Amino acid sequence: MNDSTDNSSIRTEEHPHPPRLLYIRIQTPRGLWSLDEPKDASKRPEYPPSTKIEQVIIDVRSVFGFVEQDSKYTLLRGGEILDPGRTLASYQIKDGTLLVLSVQGGNA
Amino acid sequence: MSIAAETSLAVIRGELEAVAAYVSASGLELDCAGLCSENLRFVVKFLNAGDVAFHVEFECVDYPLYPPVVEFVNAGRTQRGLRNLYPQGFHTSPCICMRYNRKAYAERGGPHGDWRLLDWRLPSGNGVGIDSLALMVSDLHSKIRHSNGTMA
Repeated sequence: MNDSTDNSSIRTEEHPHPPRLLYIRIQTPRGLWSLDEPKDASKRPEYPPSTKIEQVIIDVRSVFGFVEQDSKYTLLRGGEILDPGRTLASYQIKDGTLLVLSVQGGNA
Repeated sequence: MSIAAETSLAVIRGELEAVAAYVSASGLELDCAGLCSENLRFVVKFLNAGDVAFHVEFECVDYPLYPPVVEFVNAGRTQRGLRNLYPQGFHTSPCICMRYNRKAYAERGGPHGDWRLLDWRLPSGNGVGIDSLALMVSDLHSKIRHSNGTMA
């Protein structure tokens, strides 16, 4: 009697992983967006690294109710203005990075 | 109509928490060391696109009934409202020509006879209504960071 298990029929299945998510934090004039702030946020700042900056701006605006289209919304890392057409990965943004949403209300 | 200085001070201190968080994250500097009921002022230091420093003073008497007087000053605060203290891109009178700046109203010598001080929280066009000190700082942050050079 042979108790050994025949594994010859077991093959490795394709096992795709979802893309790893970056979590970031964004300070706005109306508060911080993070994994736990604000408490009632409908979404959290977790993104695939391939996400464009413009999508992050859209999301943070929706969380804080910046619905006005005629304002200028800019995402910054420190003093660096982030290009909306580029991705998070292209800026080598890492987990926990703190970004800033500046909100310009009109002409000076 | 006016507001007790102690009331303004309490409101300002409450709002400065949000200002401080925004300033810290943005690499700006907030100086509110002298803030008290007799001196309702604080200053924020901004950097333009070329990392040249600009200092803005918020003088908040009667805030929040009326908006603050928002003005560019020099680092030592001995000069204010001069064109060489302004970044490019601002109203050349010179003035921060926004509803949140009391200086912009005709009754304070500014260009806008069509604005009422009590309506200072209204938006410009279809933009965001700048209705808090943190939003004022953010509005100026955006404008200054995108600008180069000084007005004069």
